[in-house]
Amino acid sequence: MNYFKLTWKNITRRKSRFFFTLSAIAVGIASLVTLLSLGSGLETEIRKQADVLGANLVVTPRGWCAYEQISVLTGETLPEAIPNADVEKIAALEGLTAFPYLTQRTALKNQPVPLIGILPTAMKQFKNWQIDQGRYVLDKANVVVGSGIAKQFELASGDLLRVRGQEFSISGILQEVGNRDDLAIYMDFATAQKLYAVGDKVSFIAVKVDDITRIDHYILQIQEVANVEVSSDKQLLKSVLAIVGSVGSALKLVAAVAILAAFFGIVNTMMTAIYERRREIGILQAIGAKKRTIFSLFLCESACYGLLGGIVGVVVGFVFSWFAAPYIGQNEFTAFLGSEQSVQLFNAGITLKALVFSVLVSALAGVYPARQACKLSPVEAISYE
Amino acid sequence: MNNPIIRTEKLTKVYDSGYRTVALQQVDLQIPKGSLSCIMGPSGHGKSTLLHLIGGLDRPSSGKVFLDDVELTAVTADRLTEIRARKLGFVFQFFNLLPVLTALENVQVAMMLAGISKREQEERAAELLKLVGLEDKLRARPNQLSGGQRQRVAIARALANDPEILLMDEPSGNLDSRSEAELLEQIGKVNAQGKTVVIVTHSEKVAEMAQQIIYIRDGQLVLGKEIKEQLTMGERV
Repeated sequence: MNYFKLTWKNITRRKSRFFFTLSAIAVGIASLVTLLSLGSGLETEIRKQADVLGANLVVTPRGWCAYEQISVLTGETLPEAIPNADVEKIAALEGLTAFPYLTQRTALKNQPVPLIGILPTAMKQFKNWQIDQGRYVLDKANVVVGSGIAKQFELASGDLLRVRGQEFSISGILQEVGNRDDLAIYMDFATAQKLYAVGDKVSFIAVKVDDITRIDHYILQIQEVANVEVSSDKQLLKSVLAIVGSVGSALKLVAAVAILAAFFGIVNTMMTAIYERRREIGILQAIGAKKRTIFSLFLCESACYGLLGGIVGVVVGFVFSWFAAPYIGQNEFTAFLGSEQSVQLFNAGITLKALVFSVLVSALAGVYPARQACKLSPVEAISYE
Repeated sequence: MNNPIIRTEKLTKVYDSGYRTVALQQVDLQIPKGSLSCIMGPSGHGKSTLLHLIGGLDRPSSGKVFLDDVELTAVTADRLTEIRARKLGFVFQFFNLLPVLTALENVQVAMMLAGISKREQEERAAELLKLVGLEDKLRARPNQLSGGQRQRVAIARALANDPEILLMDEPSGNLDSRSEAELLEQIGKVNAQGKTVVIVTHSEKVAEMAQQIIYIRDGQLVLGKEIKEQLTMGERV
């Protein structure tokens, strides 16, 4: 006989109570794990997309809000607001290369697909794209397609696409790069401007600098020649992560409420257990259990609920987030969660955090009942009927 | 009288939870080492209270309890628990065993609390259950045992840490006559091993075994003529 065995036999003596108490904590932890997992997937994906952008500076119109900043990273449709003249002025500055983006949207088989207007040669070099099928030709009649879109819509080089009533030939399919570049159609910049009737405007400009140590100097230079906002890639990432973080915090509050409900569930279960087992507590005291032993026994029972509920919650949470990610990803704000590697089926960090949290919360829930148990005098407990 | 192992001096217990009840009053008592003593008297007159006080399960309102010259009424709660674990064994009338544990595990629990290794626990618990004639019931749960068998498991548990004193509160109160006879046989064996046994009982059969009978009425020891009228044998206090 050991303390663990005694604890286990006590918590499992009433199977239905054990099951429901365990379920309460498991639901709380599962919701926390789901949110942590999705949040961590979102953050990982945002960082990845920031890397994919490959720019040191991002030039956007003044006054863009957080959603538009996120859209720079996600490749969502953006309003066109920077004139070509400003693009040319920025491109003319020494020590940097400018890559304008016109992010629009078209439809394939009635499903929305990003369409991005680019400078073909410059962008191919900047992104180091390789061609998987066909050739890399972007002009008035030809577009290239990312590998993900080609696979999803079963497109091949030579196929025809209709964009805004105009027919384009797919000159080539890009090699898979494993990021959102796979999920767009690329069109010659000027053709896209004309087709979407946006005049001479672009959505934003990605800038690559020659000397990373002089980043502040380049920001000043750009702002001297054009009335635009310039963020470094790090600033942009930080601001996007802050927005995502604040949304995540609000969601974690919801999980906290679920865990709080489980906390009171455990308190109730333990108080009931103590009420039912008063005589047993008295017998244990009579045969040599000290007050701190009684306290520890009940605290262990409570923590055990946390450990077991935590394990169940972690498993359910990860499985749920794995299956939920594609559906949540249908929201534009969290669009990139739909990509395959954004949510992990197992994350050691989240598992450890969730289990420690679950055990601590459950142990805390057991403190008051355990104190009540050890305060019983042996005679009071034995005499209880 | 032999050297007393248990001694009380002016032991008084008053319960005062809105209504004042004097459960024990000025009780001076000596229980010889190795004896089998019975505490008798009408229900609600302080027998169990006296047993709880000499077993260190409760604190008196005034007076002292000595166990082998250690004043139980002066030691800390933890020390008292240690003394209970090592020197005293308890058997109660009802709900004596932990229902989720087997007979073997119920005996082991007492040893676990005293810090004895699992292997030693198992060996000794099996020996003790054999001693009380339950070697074929090691894995039985309390609800699979008869009342008499449960009390024998309780005796085995009370003996787990080889205590000097066995305190029993109405151990046969809930048993049929056959089970009571079996229980008395076990108690006799334990006493024959040199252990001091103190039993609170209403049973004349139990009283017949006693070398000393302590009679309590209205929280006080009954002496002299009055007790002679009520009891027929044994050393009277």
